[in-house]
Amino acid sequence: MGKLKAIIRREYLERVRTKWFVIATLLGPLLFLAMTVIPVLFVSRTKASPSSSNITIIDATGAALGKRVAQALQDTVAVKPVVTTVPLQEIAAAESLATKAIIAEQRQGYLILDTATMSGRAARYTGRNTSTVPDMRRMDDAVQKALLELRLEGAGISAARIDSLTKFNVQLDKTQLSSKGREKSGVGGAIVGLLVAFLLYIVLLLYGQTVLRSVIEEKTTRVAEVVISSVRPEILLAGKIIGIGAVAMTQLGVWIGSSAWLGANVVPMLVKRSVTGDNAAASARTSSELMSGLPSFSFGLIGAVLFFFVAGYVFYSCLYAAVGSTVNSESEAQQAATPVAMLLIVSAIFIQPVALAPQSTLASVMSMLPFAAPIMMPMRMSLIAVPAWEIAVSMIGMVVACLAAIWFSARIYRVGLLMYGKRPTVRELFKWLRYA
Amino acid sequence: MVDLAIDIRGVTKRYAEHVAVRDLSLQVPRGAVYGLLGPNGAGKTTTIRMILDIIAPDEGTITLFGKRHTDTGVLDRVGYLPEERGLYKKMKVRDVLKFLAELKGIDGSEAERRIEAWMERMSLKTVDKDWGNSKVDELSRGMQQKVQFIGTLIHDPDLVILDEPFSGLDPINAQALKDTVVELKARGKTVIFSTHIMDNAEKLCDSICIIAQGQKVLDGAVSDVKAAHAGRTVAVSFDGAPGSAVDAILRDTTLIASMDDQNRFLELELADGASSSELLQRLVHAGASLQRFERVQPSLHRIFLEKVGATGVEAGMSGHG
Repeated sequence: MGKLKAIIRREYLERVRTKWFVIATLLGPLLFLAMTVIPVLFVSRTKASPSSSNITIIDATGAALGKRVAQALQDTVAVKPVVTTVPLQEIAAAESLATKAIIAEQRQGYLILDTATMSGRAARYTGRNTSTVPDMRRMDDAVQKALLELRLEGAGISAARIDSLTKFNVQLDKTQLSSKGREKSGVGGAIVGLLVAFLLYIVLLLYGQTVLRSVIEEKTTRVAEVVISSVRPEILLAGKIIGIGAVAMTQLGVWIGSSAWLGANVVPMLVKRSVTGDNAAASARTSSELMSGLPSFSFGLIGAVLFFFVAGYVFYSCLYAAVGSTVNSESEAQQAATPVAMLLIVSAIFIQPVALAPQSTLASVMSMLPFAAPIMMPMRMSLIAVPAWEIAVSMIGMVVACLAAIWFSARIYRVGLLMYGKRPTVRELFKWLRYA
Repeated sequence: MVDLAIDIRGVTKRYAEHVAVRDLSLQVPRGAVYGLLGPNGAGKTTTIRMILDIIAPDEGTITLFGKRHTDTGVLDRVGYLPEERGLYKKMKVRDVLKFLAELKGIDGSEAERRIEAWMERMSLKTVDKDWGNSKVDELSRGMQQKVQFIGTLIHDPDLVILDEPFSGLDPINAQALKDTVVELKARGKTVIFSTHIMDNAEKLCDSICIIAQGQKVLDGAVSDVKAAHAGRTVAVSFDGAPGSAVDAILRDTTLIASMDDQNRFLELELADGASSSELLQRLVHAGASLQRFERVQPSLHRIFLEKVGATGVEAGMSGHG
């Protein structure tokens, strides 16, 4: 036992002490933050630019609708739209004039209000910023609001009354109902699901290959022979996998812990700071939706993620160790490890389809295949309520796959570690399985 | 019965294509320096790996200090220096040694104390420079060999197994190794080493075992082995080139079984039934101007060639030193 502990300690300390590990562990959460939260912030940044009010309003309604629209556009920004009131037949002339103003970069665009607008059907906007969603939404809101006011006034309601009647902002509070019960949902849930899947994929790949390199290092430096003259190869392999697994757990622990801290403390601050003005409410709503997805990380889910991570790691690291023991150099290893890497990559390819349709047959099958289960099942579980029997099948399959991987790799490893020269063929590998 | 450090009985190891070791039995008395000699591919490394339980024999038993070699703790009494040497390159020297000590069940302050003592002894720690905190790959090859050597002996093993210990050593480290072997023997330790360099074996070993093609060719105390082959070898040298009459005598196979030109003298193996006095008489009669005519004890090298050559393993001899 003392020897196993010595091997675990060596594998752990030699890795945790490297600069690479310290940097990756500390910078990881910031990177995740940059990758996930910042795009969300950009999307949720619904504030229109002030220059979107710098337009010409061609008013052919004859009911001073243009003035009201200008008023609405002016509410939040200092820039004043120019209102040109024209008779219907002179719209074309006013339009070409306004076009020139846009080309000369004096104006962002022009808005045409005519009889179609008055009848509540259409208004036309031409400008440089038509693809800017917040700008257009603001324009749209302004026209709707102006027309509504105009009509209400026509119905004899006072301006002050109209103001108090139309000023509201309903927030839609969404709750997902599933067989597990009520659950808050939103962007957050999906992001957490994808994050879990990619994190598991990256960690399995990263640390599987760490085991691979570690085996190759001991083999090529020939230190393996000294070590296995003191302990059985199975102990060396077990110590290596446990030690490197502990490194992975450490890194993952720091990542998850600091990401949670960043999520709870830094993200709301960032969101608040980036939001001012009329769309503050909308932004706040988006970010609160984002956050409300996080608490759905129940203890059951955390347990499942832990189980699938450990099982997935054991499965893949055993396979990588077996590959490592059959090769003579790192360059040879890249080629030899391709079949193992393919299993992981195939799983990664299906992350998106499964995330988009977590209840599909494809998703069920992928999350029960032992090589894909460590990535798929935790992701599905964070997205939907997966039937218990599927989880059970997946877990049992995973345990069986791990036992098979351990059996297989222990045998290949103890023979391969002392074999130098030509790489074994598949038939020779089967022979090795029988040596032990 | 002699107190045995190693007792191998009837060990066989087969691989798919060939038999690496065939029905090998050998006994190494405790406190002996024992040489395992044989051409490349004879099965020396396989035998050593079986002693260390790195590979399992198909047949036969291996006993170390009277216990089965697979018993718990038995291998902790063995120190092993493999033929292909190597250490963790990125580890600090002290950490590597500590790890190797822990693998043999020595840890904590005891390991640290021994590491410091050994590093001073091998001049890896001097007043000017302490290499203990350097990474292994920052050390010269000679220093790495020293570290590896410390790793082999750090747990003060009762049995030290060295596989081709002299290959790749510079003269200074080779001398240090010889000194250490002698010192280990003086302290009652058993040392077994494999080599195909007969000079080293002849100087250092109490007993030897020659194996070829996985089989024992002969074994025993060096003095016994040499005595058994004594009286059949004659060293001869001449003043100037010998004449044709002398050449004819040297080529007479009824008189001389084999001849080995050692440059400064000829080493002659007498044929069965021939005697050294008969050879001397005929040489004098032929008018040879003898500078040296001496009955010599055959070198281990000579015995080795004779024995291994007889079993037809000439191919393995190409690399002999």
